Amino acid sequence: MKTKRSVSQARALWAEFRQVRFGVLGLVMLALFVLIVLFQPVLLSKADAANRWRDMTYWLDNPRYALPVWVNWFTGRDYAVSKIIPASSVVDSTSGSLRMQTMEFPYEFKAGRPPSDFMFKVGVTGRVSLAMEIVRPDGRTVTYNKSTTSEGSQILRISVAQNMMDRVFAMASSAEDPAIAASRNPRQIDSIAALFGKAQPGILSTPEVLNGTYTLRLQAALASPTAKIDSAELVIAGGVQGLLGTDGSKRDLWSGLIAGTKWALIIGLLTSFISVAVGVLYGVAAGYFGGWVDSLMNRIFEIFVSIPLLPILIVMSAVFKPSIWIMIIMMCIFFWVGPVKTVRSIALQIKETSYIEAAHGLGASHWRILFRHMVPQLIPYSFASMALAVPGAIVFEASISLIGLGDATVVTWGQILFDAFSSGAVLQGIWWWVIPPGLAMAALGMTFAFIGFAMDTILNPRLKTR
Amino acid sequence: MYWKYAARRVFYAIVMFVITVAIFSALFNAVAERVLRSQIREQVSAEVTSLGKTLIGQNRSEVLARVRVQRTAELTSMYHLDEPTLSRVFWRTVDSVSFRLGEATIIKSSAGEKDVLTIVGERLPRTIMLFSVAAAIDVVLGVWLGLRKARKAGGFMDKATSIGTMIVFGMPAWWLGMLLIMFFAFTLPIFPSGGIHAAPPPQGIGFFLDLLWHMVLPVFTLVILGFWGRAYITRNIVLGTLQEDFIMSARARGISERRVLFGHTLRTAAPPIVTMSLLAMVGSISGALIFEGIFSWPGMGNLYWQAVQQNDIPVLMGDLTITTGIYILALAVLDLVYGFLDPRVKVGGKA
Amino acid sequence: MEKERILEISDLELHYFTHKGVVKAVDAITFDVRRGETLGVVGESGCGKTTMGTALLNMPTPPGRIVGGRILMDGQDILKLSENEIRRRVRWESISMVFQGAMNCLTPVYTIEKQMRETLQQHRQMERQEARERMKNYLNLVGLSDDVLRRYPHELSGGMKQRVVIATALFLEPKVIICDEPTTALDVVVQAQIINLLKDLKEQVGVSFIFITHDLSIEAEVSDRILVMYAGRIVELGTNEQIYGPQGPAHPYTQRLLAATPRLHEEVEALAFIPGTPPDLIDPPPGCRFHPRCSVVMERCAHDDVPLREIEPDHMVACWRCFDE
Repeated sequence: MKTKRSVSQARALWAEFRQVRFGVLGLVMLALFVLIVLFQPVLLSKADAANRWRDMTYWLDNPRYALPVWVNWFTGRDYAVSKIIPASSVVDSTSGSLRMQTMEFPYEFKAGRPPSDFMFKVGVTGRVSLAMEIVRPDGRTVTYNKSTTSEGSQILRISVAQNMMDRVFAMASSAEDPAIAASRNPRQIDSIAALFGKAQPGILSTPEVLNGTYTLRLQAALASPTAKIDSAELVIAGGVQGLLGTDGSKRDLWSGLIAGTKWALIIGLLTSFISVAVGVLYGVAAGYFGGWVDSLMNRIFEIFVSIPLLPILIVMSAVFKPSIWIMIIMMCIFFWVGPVKTVRSIALQIKETSYIEAAHGLGASHWRILFRHMVPQLIPYSFASMALAVPGAIVFEASISLIGLGDATVVTWGQILFDAFSSGAVLQGIWWWVIPPGLAMAALGMTFAFIGFAMDTILNPRLKTR
Repeated sequence: MYWKYAARRVFYAIVMFVITVAIFSALFNAVAERVLRSQIREQVSAEVTSLGKTLIGQNRSEVLARVRVQRTAELTSMYHLDEPTLSRVFWRTVDSVSFRLGEATIIKSSAGEKDVLTIVGERLPRTIMLFSVAAAIDVVLGVWLGLRKARKAGGFMDKATSIGTMIVFGMPAWWLGMLLIMFFAFTLPIFPSGGIHAAPPPQGIGFFLDLLWHMVLPVFTLVILGFWGRAYITRNIVLGTLQEDFIMSARARGISERRVLFGHTLRTAAPPIVTMSLLAMVGSISGALIFEGIFSWPGMGNLYWQAVQQNDIPVLMGDLTITTGIYILALAVLDLVYGFLDPRVKVGGKA
Repeated sequence: MEKERILEISDLELHYFTHKGVVKAVDAITFDVRRGETLGVVGESGCGKTTMGTALLNMPTPPGRIVGGRILMDGQDILKLSENEIRRRVRWESISMVFQGAMNCLTPVYTIEKQMRETLQQHRQMERQEARERMKNYLNLVGLSDDVLRRYPHELSGGMKQRVVIATALFLEPKVIICDEPTTALDVVVQAQIINLLKDLKEQVGVSFIFITHDLSIEAEVSDRILVMYAGRIVELGTNEQIYGPQGPAHPYTQRLLAATPRLHEEVEALAFIPGTPPDLIDPPPGCRFHPRCSVVMERCAHDDVPLREIEPDHMVACWRCFDE
């Protein structure tokens, strides 16, 4: 019978909640965030993006500071898109004792601006000599050779921007005005722009893009019997990549945002749940027992509200260097005071009602009265305060992270913003690094605000306007 | 009557301050002592080195070693480090409560002093200036909008601005600060990206204008995030008051709508509205931390940031003590103002 | 003897427009108020008594709205007056009201003097001294001393606050005073004092009272005529004698209500209670609204709307059983 009553109460509450449009919108948005967490593996751009966020070697294939791909929709496909191009043809041959492998990687370049890097990536084992030749649409070529010996398998990256500056400079100088060419050196020019530039005077200083097919020809000589090359790829690090671009450490920001969603929800929900549960029980107990218990509990409560939240959390984080879980506990230690005052006064009201007295008269124990009679009546209010406490918890974690005290083993939105702020993204106008994490935080905050405010309107009949 | 109440409230605030400081002292005892011991070591080394320069003789090293041991013991006992833990915590509490906050390890005041109280003290007015200006604008705007919302509760304006309140509810002020810096200092460079003065600061009236110019962005950020919440709470307080029996009663007595709203309603709602507004100011002291860092505003919040980055524990602790002190003081002032505004408290009856 | 009618209410309808539906809190009510009489209004909680009271001041609480009917005062329909005119000519000038829970009817942050003076100034041009005299007079009339004037409401007891409210309701000398449960929140002794005060005032001042309460024993004490409401409608309207006299009321609901009330001066053996709850006013039952709870229900009660008819002089009833057909 008890459950029946609570079911019908819940139903009545839901019927009212449904009337509040923004409340329903909040629920829909929450469902969306939960879906993002559930489908995280599908949504990440690379499988280990969440675990290896701070492993810089994991992100080497990406361009640095690439814009989001959709920027192209507004700029007329100006930026080259990042691309990984497999070999279009592989020919095996032998020349004497040498085994040879020849591969071709064609890259169709159509964008209005050159990509940010042109990289050859290959796994090599044993003694291998690589001869690379980049053939431009106008027939000019840039060549580069590299020999390597390695015990096990090793990943080799040869990048135009880092390894082939001299060769590109030589190629471009032949087209440039000799006077200008003589005044420059390979370190001063944008070698990628030169590689993708029209062979005409100005290629070194103000290059114009040359569209067409750039082909990378690779000839690998496998000198030792066990030598081999595998998973050879041409990596075009574009000017745009992913839904949200990349940051200064070449990380895909979309993946970071998705990985952060999980932690934002964990931090927000866990903190608000624990602290509201503690606060509600505390308030109910204080109101129910009254007398000296109430006074004592009130004093303890007063001490907690006298401590400014963020400063103490920052100092504790600085001194104790907590993990994310400890940080959640720390936040709970100071967050629980939120609902206490209201709950206590509600509890006092409930206590006055006759049926609590009746339960008392019937010999019900304190705990039974507290948990069977008083706490259930406070559940709707608790839900509302939980919803409204979530954004605070998320912002607090983000604030602590922003100072650089976050748990480095997880990815949170606050930490992404810390990286952005500390590498000067704000003053360099790298908006795609700064806007999305904060926007996500604001959106999640808004989600819970919608839900919480909707419940608040239902629970406070005085605020009703209709 | 009121003065008795006020005296009691202030005394209570002092007790609270002592208790919180005692908690901090216990909580951060280990790290604070570690820093103190290393500071003592440094000081003794410096003394011994300077003594060594003046000393000549065959037992020079012996004397120096004795002086080292003796001075270390002296200083250790001066800072009560040779006593049991409880007593150490007690003495640290006493020191903190009487604002003897020790010396910074790295950070210095603008005059080059290492005294933590001086360092925090010179930043305090800057923080108060920034946040009180912001809070004042925010409260005026918020209360004005809240009143308008309450008058036409449920109307389009009310609903739209309530949605606005919810939209900014979980938005960190410092993030919005970042965006505005990016827009107004990078894309459209019309405001400085941070700081409190141009270098070098201009003289005379220019000094003041320069200060205002530097305050525009941070104040603007705080206000556009803050006043929504203020408006929403004001609306709810006023709406709650409007539904009180005495408002209906005043209307029935034929009192004009203007007097009902600006007289009875607002006068009754004033204590909670003022409390709420002051609470917002107090809250912003706590929130200032991150915010000042973003705008490089050289206040107390920014000091936390620097202290964390340079791992300057004494400054961190001192800043926390002073922040807490101000926070508790502000809470007390808030109660006093409330008591002043609401006749029911003034008499000292049960509020 | 036919007394002058000072308020004539006809077909008054007030609906609350909630998101669950339209609540017909006052549904086509017709009655009048005569000079110098006390008209008692009784009924269970939620039957529309208070709503009707506020409707007479044209002051429905949102989301309520008066959707039909007329309230004639001196031959003029006050529902047709502008808000400004109602404020100047009707509220407190002609009709004042002592609200339910009068302890909350005084603005807590104003002194008694301030709120009384404000009311006075809103309606009368008056010298400060004259106003003060008047306030004192009326406070004395309700048995309070002058120094109440400089007090704040929370410094007064419940009974004192109630007296202040009554003094305020009187001091513009209106034609009608609506008293909505004026004694509910008070303890028994104070209750009796207030009742006696009201009875005295009626003699001295000669105004008409509309006395709203759920307590029939009080009505019996103070009222000349009784109006019984059920679910937003009038079910019976008669003189004190007709309702409380030996012959007893005509309507089954009034009978049950009376049986459920402990009499002030009688020994009570067993209190009857009325089974069931008042109906949902969004979707009231068809026919007579009381029929689901009525013990003498007839077949036609369930589908034929029942009119309010005079069964003897000054005695109106809405019950099929009472009509000779």
